[in-house]
Amino acid sequence: MLSIDDLSVRYRTASGEVEALTGISLAVPRGSTLALVGESGSGKSTVALAAMGLLPQEAYCPSGRIDFDGRDMMQMAPAERRALRGRRIGLVFQDPFSVLNPSLRIGDQVAEGLIQHRGATPAAAAERAVELLDEVGIRNPRAVAQAYPHELSGGMRQRALIAGALAPEPDLLILDEPTTALDVTIEAQILELLETLRARRGLTMLFISHNLGVVRRIADRVAVMYAGQVVETGPTAEVLRAPLHPYAKGLIAAIPRLGLRQERLASIPGRLPDLRRLPQGCRFEARCPFADAACGEPQALGTAGDASSREARCHLAASQASTPWPIEAASDPVERRQAGAAPVLEIDSLVRRFTIGRGRLRFDRGWPRFDKLSITAVDSVSLTVRPGEVLGLVGESGSGKTTLGRIALRLIEPDSGRILVDGEPIVGLPQAALEPMRRKAQIVFQNPDSSLNPRKTVLELIGRPIERFGLAPSGEIPTRVRALLDLVRLPAHYAHRYPHQMSGGEKQRVGIARALATEPRFIVCDEPVSALDVSVQAAIVNLLADLRDRLQVAYLFISHDIAVVAHLADRIAVMNQGRIVEIDETERITRSPSHPYTARLIAAVPRIDGMAGDASR
Amino acid sequence: MARYILRRLLSVALVLVAVSILVFAVTSILPANVAYLILGQFADPAQVKVLEAKLGLNDPIWQQYLRWAWAIVQGNLGESMLMNRPIAPLLFEAISRSLVLASVSFVLIAVIGIGLGVAAALRHGRPLDHGVSVGTYLGIAVPEFFWAIVVILIFASWLGWLPSSGYEPLATGFWIWLQHLIAPTITLVFAHLAHVSRLTRSSMIEVLQSPYVTAARAKGLPERIVVMRHALRNALLPTITVLALDFGRLMGGIVVIETVFAYPGLGRLIVFSIQNRDLPTLQASILVVAAIYAIANLLADLAYAWLNPRIRYDRSIA
Amino acid sequence: MATSAALERAPRKPMSAQLKAGLLITSVIVLLGLLAPWISPHPWDTISIKTRFLPPSTTYWLGTDDFGRDVFSRLLMGTRLSLAMGISATLISLAIGVPIGLAAGYFRGRTDELLMRSADVLMAVPPIMLGLLVLAVTPPAIWKTAVAVGLVYVPPIARVTRSVTLSIVTEDFVQAARARAEGPAWILFREILPNAWPALIVEASLRVTYAILLGSALSFLGLGAQPPSSDWGLMIAEARAFIDTAPWIALSPGIAMCLLVVGINLIGDGARERLDPRLKTRTAKG
Repeated sequence: MLSIDDLSVRYRTASGEVEALTGISLAVPRGSTLALVGESGSGKSTVALAAMGLLPQEAYCPSGRIDFDGRDMMQMAPAERRALRGRRIGLVFQDPFSVLNPSLRIGDQVAEGLIQHRGATPAAAAERAVELLDEVGIRNPRAVAQAYPHELSGGMRQRALIAGALAPEPDLLILDEPTTALDVTIEAQILELLETLRARRGLTMLFISHNLGVVRRIADRVAVMYAGQVVETGPTAEVLRAPLHPYAKGLIAAIPRLGLRQERLASIPGRLPDLRRLPQGCRFEARCPFADAACGEPQALGTAGDASSREARCHLAASQASTPWPIEAASDPVERRQAGAAPVLEIDSLVRRFTIGRGRLRFDRGWPRFDKLSITAVDSVSLTVRPGEVLGLVGESGSGKTTLGRIALRLIEPDSGRILVDGEPIVGLPQAALEPMRRKAQIVFQNPDSSLNPRKTVLELIGRPIERFGLAPSGEIPTRVRALLDLVRLPAHYAHRYPHQMSGGEKQRVGIARALATEPRFIVCDEPVSALDVSVQAAIVNLLADLRDRLQVAYLFISHDIAVVAHLADRIAVMNQGRIVEIDETERITRSPSHPYTARLIAAVPRIDGMAGDASR
Repeated sequence: MARYILRRLLSVALVLVAVSILVFAVTSILPANVAYLILGQFADPAQVKVLEAKLGLNDPIWQQYLRWAWAIVQGNLGESMLMNRPIAPLLFEAISRSLVLASVSFVLIAVIGIGLGVAAALRHGRPLDHGVSVGTYLGIAVPEFFWAIVVILIFASWLGWLPSSGYEPLATGFWIWLQHLIAPTITLVFAHLAHVSRLTRSSMIEVLQSPYVTAARAKGLPERIVVMRHALRNALLPTITVLALDFGRLMGGIVVIETVFAYPGLGRLIVFSIQNRDLPTLQASILVVAAIYAIANLLADLAYAWLNPRIRYDRSIA
Repeated sequence: MATSAALERAPRKPMSAQLKAGLLITSVIVLLGLLAPWISPHPWDTISIKTRFLPPSTTYWLGTDDFGRDVFSRLLMGTRLSLAMGISATLISLAIGVPIGLAAGYFRGRTDELLMRSADVLMAVPPIMLGLLVLAVTPPAIWKTAVAVGLVYVPPIARVTRSVTLSIVTEDFVQAARARAEGPAWILFREILPNAWPALIVEASLRVTYAILLGSALSFLGLGAQPPSSDWGLMIAEARAFIDTAPWIALSPGIAMCLLVVGINLIGDGARERLDPRLKTRTAKG
């Protein structure tokens, strides 16, 4: 159905030409699903744009064919390509909110494709739109068709987008990270929907994602991309079970597996090559532990392994087929939990509500008053964190976990409840009196772009907490900072860098170093790896584990990704709609959860190994 | 939505009250004595005292304010000191003339400004875009009174097409009434076009790069529909805000324009009242201006709220 | 598409043509203004009946006015007045408006409500009328005009500062500062303001041009500089009567003002383009 042959795409930018894609060749046979997998910068989204003919003006294709149903799209006139778009090729984007026009009703946006491509009348199209909304599992489709995007939840918006893409009955559906912005339970529902639709309509799908678990579930074949090239292809289950290309091996080894207790995750050192100055030979060589002299030659995509359906861009693929990605040994395990020691954090019956609007107008003893509409973000939560322990806090968006984390440090004020840090109560004190507590309790934030002041150097960023609490004379601060940089495995000369000169992973390390600067007893880690690529995530998770061991610092580790939490945490607390529904040892919760919500959460996580929660395979 | 309207009306009322206090306060600090202004510099001090008492100038400030405010609420805007006539009819006549000028200019600015802005955005980076940018830029880079003089120079002196000043009421004849209106209108439009066209242009460019426009193109919709149906609606929202702002600037502009063109509107009235220290007229005029501006802003807010579904529809489905 | 390696070695962006042009024009004008007393070909205030209404020539580059004074020399001297007006008025509005905006944006709640409502009240009247109101009650003098213009522009500056502050306050590094017990003063002046002032500089440059235009309008109406001052607005007002016979007297100050405003605006726009991309940079996830 779709066949891409030797496609290259280059962008003209102010600082030179960037080669986004090099010699990409892919095939999506009719009726099957091909997944395109890679991290940011791999070029996978560019493939989708190119296939749709939607590349921006700065891009051009020095070579390649894109065959759709036998005809080369690159040779077509723009009008002809436009006719294909929507009518025979549908595209579902990543972020459902920004992709829907905020000023048009859902029904209109779904029906557009019909009116344009199938010549339907507005009335007929509107009816069909309602039918489609129903088909994608939206309850009350007629009401939703009249609604505007901002009135719907994320899951419903994504369903509406899928309905809109399906309306003109395309043959090929391209989906670019369709579930990345969604909660894991909603993601499971959308994946189920896609499977149903595919079976019912015989769709061909090109599915782009960085999430290997999702890919395992939905795709027949997978192509792994790195730095603009396809580095491995093959049937999904086989590639994920026994990858051939070193990058694929590293990527898969870096993913925490739920239910598999691993000491450390594999991480891939180094970073993506500069796309403006690509190496002649293998692009992965600089980061590859298997590299040898021959890697300096350009690597071709050749069949490898026993089956001809598998290809890898590495001359070592066959010889190293059974060698796994090396994982560094953990440092000597230290006895972490001090039994009987007093908890570093104790929370008792914490409540926090947010007012989201005004209700009806009432009269209260003669004075007009508006009822407050509020949601209870944190609903009487109690938990403790012991010294040196990692307590994981898991929940979906809206569960209140981030709010709870912030309240624990009184960055948000609780409405009621008690908080004790190292035995000292901190509720009821004015902010100014919280200084001693602030030394002992610190926080690492999620978004590396937002957590560091762009106008300060690393030295200032890490040195300021030391200065603020008077932990060292000012002459000694640079030495302390260097020691902290060493602790988080950053070179000492980074002290003079500014945030915009560092990558996301490096910025997170600086954030961790900053939190450690006050020698805290515990740190609230608020989704510290969620904004990072998988290979970088693993390195940061390993770092946090090491620091926990060496420094005996406790973590309240907040995340929506239960696999990451399970890897690091001793105990897990599961939050749903402001309440803690279950809290127990990690082992027990992941193996046999008692609360139905926990069970649903765990079952919804897409697995690479195709185990539990994935009955269709 | 209804709640929103009520809230806005209330705040308009409060703002006007605050403005009236401000206006009154500023004019009360003046050193020159009102009574002397009326009776002349060399008046007999005894007579001055009598007049002061009669005008209530010896009462505490807040009492004077309340008296004045109460009178205004009842529709009595006071008496002009210069002309010894009630202010209200004077003001009303002047306002109606100014509103004609302002409204015509406003409509032209909106239509031409938005049109140029959209055209420039669609031809982003090309000659038309640069041409529009530079051309409209000149309009705002120089004070209006300068353009007014240039317009007079070109159209009245050199070409002789238009009268250089003055005003004829509609009753005298449509064409001659229009003739007196053209030059001031051209000047005002030229001097304010850039505000609207620049914002429309940048808003449109931003919208054209947004994900939902890319998605619309991905659906295979023709460019014409993408622009008109998807992009324009969202790009115009910020334009409404700037149009409201510009209405205020227009009203400020008429002060100078009417002075240069000797157009007997509110602007000229204000200038006269300042030059002649006719404080009651000044106070009343500014208050009225604030009221008109506040109403214009209110209308703009309502238009914005009506066009922006996020404000208009505040229900949550799921 | 840039990778982190690329960001490391990113060269300083060259100045856009826009910025260079703006700097060139503005600095030339500023220089001329500063050196005016020494480089004027003729005295700006000497009245001479013989030389009235002379058109531009090699002796009098821009001709003479109704009092026989050299227009070019008067123009040069007027440059200083316009620049002084623009800069001093803007400094006043920044000095008062920025702290107000910072406080409103950071503390929110009642403080914010109160400050912004007050700003709303002041902005309910078009700027020129507000200026007229203030100047109506006192004998005119150019310094008073500068103060009036400065005060009139306090609310818009406060609003802009507030919105910039609001966007910065949501960043996590502000929370990080609270997490290490920093007080409001530190957070406002050492965390927020350093990130706010690029946007404020751009806004301030725009305000300078507005101040120059408003100041000249007030002078035109007789409420600013007084004769025999060679303020540009005043020059145009005086030249109005002779527009038919001696257009150069009115046109010269207008064109000069145009050049100055365009120059400053180019600097402002160029500065904004330089600053914005960096503010919006999001790095690769690697």
